Amino acid sequence: MSFSVARGAVIARREYLSTIRRKAFLFSLMLTPVLFAVITGIQVLTASDDAKDALRASAIAVVDSSGLLANAPRTFTNEAPTDAGAITGPRKTRAPQAARTAVTFFPDTAAAMAALNRGAVRQVVLVPADYLEHGNVRRFKLASNLFTSTDERAVGRWLARGILTGAVDSTRADRASRPLSGLQLFVPSHAGVFELHDDRRDLVDFFVPFLLGMLLSISIITGGQYLLQGVTEEKESRILESLLCTVTPEELMFGKLVGLGGAGLTLVVAWSVMGAYVGGPIAMAANFHMSPLLIVFGVTYFLLGYLFYASLMTGIGAVASNLREANQMALMFTFGNFIPFYMLTKIIGHPDSQLAIGMSIFPLTAPTSMLMRLAATDMGVPAWQLALSLAILAGSAWLAVVASARVFRIGLLLYGKTPNLPEILRWARQG
Amino acid sequence: MLAVRDVVKSFSGRAVVNQVTFDVQPGEIFALLGPNGAGKTTLIRMITDILKPDSGRILLDGKPVGGEQRARVAYLPEERGVYKRVGLVDSLVYFGLLRGLTQADARASARRLLDQVELGAHATKQVQMLSKGMQQKLQLCTALIGDPRLLILDEPFTGLDPINVQLFERVLAERRAAGSTVLLSTHQMNKVEEQCDRALMINRGHMVLYGPVREIRRQHSGHAVRVNGTNVPAALPGVSAVVAENGGWRLDLEPATQPDAVLRSLIEHGAHLHSFMLDEPPLEDIFIKVVTEGLGLDGGESGPPTVDEPLTAVGAR
Repeated sequence: MSFSVARGAVIARREYLSTIRRKAFLFSLMLTPVLFAVITGIQVLTASDDAKDALRASAIAVVDSSGLLANAPRTFTNEAPTDAGAITGPRKTRAPQAARTAVTFFPDTAAAMAALNRGAVRQVVLVPADYLEHGNVRRFKLASNLFTSTDERAVGRWLARGILTGAVDSTRADRASRPLSGLQLFVPSHAGVFELHDDRRDLVDFFVPFLLGMLLSISIITGGQYLLQGVTEEKESRILESLLCTVTPEELMFGKLVGLGGAGLTLVVAWSVMGAYVGGPIAMAANFHMSPLLIVFGVTYFLLGYLFYASLMTGIGAVASNLREANQMALMFTFGNFIPFYMLTKIIGHPDSQLAIGMSIFPLTAPTSMLMRLAATDMGVPAWQLALSLAILAGSAWLAVVASARVFRIGLLLYGKTPNLPEILRWARQG
Repeated sequence: MLAVRDVVKSFSGRAVVNQVTFDVQPGEIFALLGPNGAGKTTLIRMITDILKPDSGRILLDGKPVGGEQRARVAYLPEERGVYKRVGLVDSLVYFGLLRGLTQADARASARRLLDQVELGAHATKQVQMLSKGMQQKLQLCTALIGDPRLLILDEPFTGLDPINVQLFERVLAERRAAGSTVLLSTHQMNKVEEQCDRALMINRGHMVLYGPVREIRRQHSGHAVRVNGTNVPAALPGVSAVVAENGGWRLDLEPATQPDAVLRSLIEHGAHLHSFMLDEPPLEDIFIKVVTEGLGLDGGESGPPTVDEPLTAVGAR
């Protein structure tokens, strides 16, 4: 086989330039981070609104059949557990958000429910006569959702304080109602020294592996999709025959892999720069340090993952009759790349679990899974697992390149008929 | 220039090209003929190194095709396409670079070619804005950029209006004058008669005709002459029959009679001639006859003809 790097480079240059000049590429480059920021912003604002709603000054109705709450305070303070809207600020400057809630006692349930129905109170709390023995409290609210438990905690604290008021001194009653208000959690730092835990660090510890994994996955898939589209379009436009008279299939495949991989890498770099610009202050505030090795492994996994996935896409593009068919055939591989995100909590929350280890070794899911594990454990993945993962991925990528090159050579000139799987496998074996 | 020797190519156990041997001389326009499915495209794909032959050799100036020889061969396939979302010049420069030109040379060459096919005014437009005929001219330029020594054109005239056909013919003549060799595959037999020096016809993968176009036509003539004029005698020595046909006469000659003797005899008998020509059948008739009669389909026990052999109907031997 004669292979001209110069011709391959001409193809790579053209593929790269024609791709990054496409409007679709520029939209993808600019709009993906914007879209991500908008979605994140909406989530934060929604969470903030829910928290604010829970904190709104209001009133509750209480029907006390136990008589335990006769001396309970007629107001209580409703405090937010966290401040989702101010994660970038230094912790000490965060002011607690609180609202005062008035407590109105009603003689019976009917009167309390009437007050609820006409909007005079936001909820009704029924304390039964045997509350002390069984703790069966019933609450009535006009609406509730999964994420607003702030008021429930506040009611709980008020009940504790109400029961103890008069039985113990006010300081004890106050402490019993808020036993962990001054909690300080210490966890090991990167240096192994116990340090005061920062809630924002949890956020960073979750989002950094998640975002890196997402970035890697989208980049690999984007580059692969460019290849799939490029090969299919050239095949459909019937220009391949003119081209293959001038270059070998191997040169064409090499040029496309390099050029479109470069386009994918451009996305990674651009999004990383944008991410660093926006997320840098958060990471710095949370005292987050990214290991340079993580970047090295990130690039390595991108290259190998891209080579593996893009080679498969090249082969698919060569055998498919049109783009729609090619996309259908590519779907399972694309889906495979996203499987780690369905197992997100397992991989990031339990990076040493068997599932996480297995997924970081299986070639189709290895790049994303391993990068998430590396980021989640601060490069704490055992060396043998890393070596095994890289070796299997490199071997798979090499096999994919060789097999796809063989399929590519034959499939390119096949029009109108899509070969069946045994035929494709025979081409891949024999060339 | 091009030497094809005993080339065989099979798909799924069926020989699509079977023991094909021929030469294309430098500077000639050579026709590759055959009915649909005869194996022409497979043969061309082997010459362009897109496919590898199962056996046999294909040499360009004594060296196997492919490798660095690629830059010397250009192919305009019948099923041709263009990059639609690029400028005309950029599209041509890309192919020029692939054929080893520098950026500056490729750009200059692209401009020159576009001017040559009267597309210079559209040089900066996107290809998708061109009409179909204009796109065909661009495709011809794509084949021509880099000055390939062997130009393979598969049905280049299909879909062109008569003016553009003339343009294509003029460009081909210029290329030939500049020393390029053209291998032309077409079903338009009149173009072969007008343009081509020699021809090869294959049917079901086998060679069935090979040689100079004139010689092929002469060999298939009915040993007769066709005359137009007045006072043509009804009988002549050495002539077996004088038949009025299409406003003239066809004179069937006896086997030993030579056409020049008949011409002398006509003049001696007082005929006033406007034209005198050998009664050679058009290539199209020969094509139909050879294909429908299935000549040479068994491949011939004596094997394919050699280049030096004047025999033109291979299977008739």
